[in-house]
Amino acid sequence: MTTSSPSTRKGLTKIATNRLQKEFMEWQTNPPGGFNHRVSDNLQRWIIEVNGAPGTLYANETYQLQVEFPEHYPMEAPQVIFQQPAPLHPHIYSNGHICLDVLYDSWSPAMRLSSICLSILSMLSSSAVKQRPKDNDHYLKNCKNGRSPKETRWRFHDDKV
Amino acid sequence: MSPWLRKTEWHAVASWTWDAQDETCGICRMPFDGCCPDCKLPGDDCPLIWGACNHSFHLHCILKWVNSQTSQAHCPMCRREWQFKE
Repeated sequence: MTTSSPSTRKGLTKIATNRLQKEFMEWQTNPPGGFNHRVSDNLQRWIIEVNGAPGTLYANETYQLQVEFPEHYPMEAPQVIFQQPAPLHPHIYSNGHICLDVLYDSWSPAMRLSSICLSILSMLSSSAVKQRPKDNDHYLKNCKNGRSPKETRWRFHDDKV
Repeated sequence: MSPWLRKTEWHAVASWTWDAQDETCGICRMPFDGCCPDCKLPGDDCPLIWGACNHSFHLHCILKWVNSQTSQAHCPMCRREWQFKE
């Protein structure tokens, strides 16, 4: 008898599996407002639907977030990017990468995916213009071959949006 | 004592809890009265530890966080510099 080959992605540690199961249960019973978790059996890769808040530039628009949890979650932040098409926003690059401090330097293991989602929704809601970051083309050039946004050295300079 | 009953033996029962502000560890989200996901039994083998900021975690959990940081680690709850309470 043959056994199926192990997936190329590294498995989750015990603490990661445990925490993700808890977060998964929380999402089933009490998801953050404006978000839907598309059900799948993959604990390590979630697809989350984001609905723009009423009364904002993104009202009645729906976007998809792709979330990958690292082996050592929650000691490491999840990788969160928008799937195509990414919302037009001064902090969201056209490849879906999001310039948001809690996804990188300001991550804390006490945060959960739902707190990240609320930060993203608040970032969308406080936007006054629908446009790409000024350095969008430059960033894309430096970000070829599907590099993770976690490898980018981010500078966070705008605390208004 | 009633003449019909005589105590022949007794069993003492005690319970304990950690004296922490929260009920669950902010890192692994397991109850403090239990142990971290890597341990089997709560108690001395999986102790709680306090920071100078008074936030508490399973020792094993906060060590994983502190050791994963290349520079000074911060308290996961309040983001102050993490120092073990003396």
